[in-house]
Amino acid sequence: MNDAAERKLAISHMWVAFAAFIVACLLGEYQVIERSGFFPALDSNSVYFASVSTHGVLMAFVLTTFFIMGFGYYIATTTLKQPVWNKQLAWIGFWVALTGVVLAAIPLLTGKASVLYTFYPPIVAHASFYIGATLLVVGSWVWCVIMLVMFSQWKKANPGQAVPLAMFATAANAMLWLWTSAGVALEVLFQLIPLSLGWIDTIDPGLARTLFAWTLHPIVYFWLIPAYTAYYVFVPKQAGGYLFSEEMARLAFIVLAVFALPIGFHHLYMDPEQAKGWKLLHAIGTFVVALPTLVTGFTVIASLEIAGRLRGGKGLFGWIGKLPWTNPMTLAVILSLLMLIFGGFGGIVNASYAMNAMVHNTAWVSGHFHLIFAGTTIIMYFAIAYYLWPLLVGKPLFSRTMALVQLWTWFIGMTILTTPWHVLGLLGQPRRISSVVYNNLLTLSWKPYELMMIFGGLILLGSACALIYNLVKTQLAPTTENFSEQIEFAEPLRPVTALPEHLNDLKLWNKIIAVLMAISFGYPILQFFFMETFGSNGWGY
Amino acid sequence: MDQITDEERKQILESPPVGTFALMTTVIGGMVVAWLFLYYGIFLPRG
Repeated sequence: MNDAAERKLAISHMWVAFAAFIVACLLGEYQVIERSGFFPALDSNSVYFASVSTHGVLMAFVLTTFFIMGFGYYIATTTLKQPVWNKQLAWIGFWVALTGVVLAAIPLLTGKASVLYTFYPPIVAHASFYIGATLLVVGSWVWCVIMLVMFSQWKKANPGQAVPLAMFATAANAMLWLWTSAGVALEVLFQLIPLSLGWIDTIDPGLARTLFAWTLHPIVYFWLIPAYTAYYVFVPKQAGGYLFSEEMARLAFIVLAVFALPIGFHHLYMDPEQAKGWKLLHAIGTFVVALPTLVTGFTVIASLEIAGRLRGGKGLFGWIGKLPWTNPMTLAVILSLLMLIFGGFGGIVNASYAMNAMVHNTAWVSGHFHLIFAGTTIIMYFAIAYYLWPLLVGKPLFSRTMALVQLWTWFIGMTILTTPWHVLGLLGQPRRISSVVYNNLLTLSWKPYELMMIFGGLILLGSACALIYNLVKTQLAPTTENFSEQIEFAEPLRPVTALPEHLNDLKLWNKIIAVLMAISFGYPILQFFFMETFGSNGWGY
Repeated sequence: MDQITDEERKQILESPPVGTFALMTTVIGGMVVAWLFLYYGIFLPRG
């Protein structure tokens, strides 16, 4: 099949993603320097919060959404072996999303949208920011529709056959994202845009935070599912083995998609607008969603164990040393899993209803989500890029050695950045501060950790530049006639012959999500319309 | 990469992933210990 159009579609999305990424990395390094207070000339609250808002939006919304869309289009066309359904619509989605990014970037860069990526009201941004964010989400909905149409069409044309695992995961992610983004869409459309345009005078922050909590946790799984997809469908093959169990992989994706959604109140443990019973319900759900991550960890490590033993590894752990550590995908998954262990532990502490009070709104939280997002997840985006770029541009990777160095330095930099961040949280440093304007023994004890974070950030910035350089050089290299690599997906250890329909379809799970969301968010949202609440004036730029 | 015989290959593919069980047990055990340390060593003493 000639998939040139699909490759162009995929790489266009991915370039937007990585362009956002490199800008965000620069801003991130500025922020750790500014916050440290070591360079008084850089001190500026307004620039800091404009920067941290832009950094968050670029990393959490632009890098992820565009990368996931590009990855999804290529996965759909290569696994289903058919062209992307309605490519014209896909390009419309791309341009709508990109227009949204530009619209949002203008107020962000001019200090008129310093509302952080969580944009909690009553802080309010210029309307252009919210309209831009909405267009980005609308563009991503186009992608969701295309993925689900392709999934359904393929199932109809191939009755009784198992949908390829990578496509099953991508479709599950599209379904998850439609549910996930609905919460923030309601907040933006009915609260933030009317407020920013002056159509309403006040806003109910409790309702807004509840709607954002709907989005805030499952969005992490929207980002994470492509990384898990690579764990399952690329890693075992690249390591020289087999996928330990495809059924467990499908189950993990389903449980992730279902239980990621009704649990967002662990972000509101300290908020007054929701009762403790609802928070406890969401806390229990939060621990349930740890299970598919454990299943994923087990299945992927078992797949690596098979690969290591097939390569001659002996004993309980001898297979680890036999793995192909010089393969970027294999190296990335090992580093990703290491960061997942520590990030996952931090997440369990956050989710612990009582102990959350110790770390709530401290630097610990920033350390945690950087370890999970920028560590576990993004390092797999790099590995996917290194694997797919040669296939997308039809040329070999410019430098495999540089890719390996880049992955190691990202891991080292992220460790040096996030470890002090966690410690600072336990030492009481609040998150979302631009500076410390007083000196006492407590705040002075933060200084060595701030210094370490600057050093970690510098390593990360260098690593990010190496990634972009490698991808640009790969794309700009002269065309080689004899490049014939094809995408390769892992084979399961035991071929999938008879698959239960519910492990091959999403309809039932979609209904279960609807029920769970009605239970966990129905009354908590409706209560704002039953009881008397008081709005707040917006304030901001 | 060491060469393995067909018999060894068959045995590997049919054996349970004992290394993974050991690794996962260690990791989960470590997490429990670390959580207990934070709970009893830092959280409760802070009142």
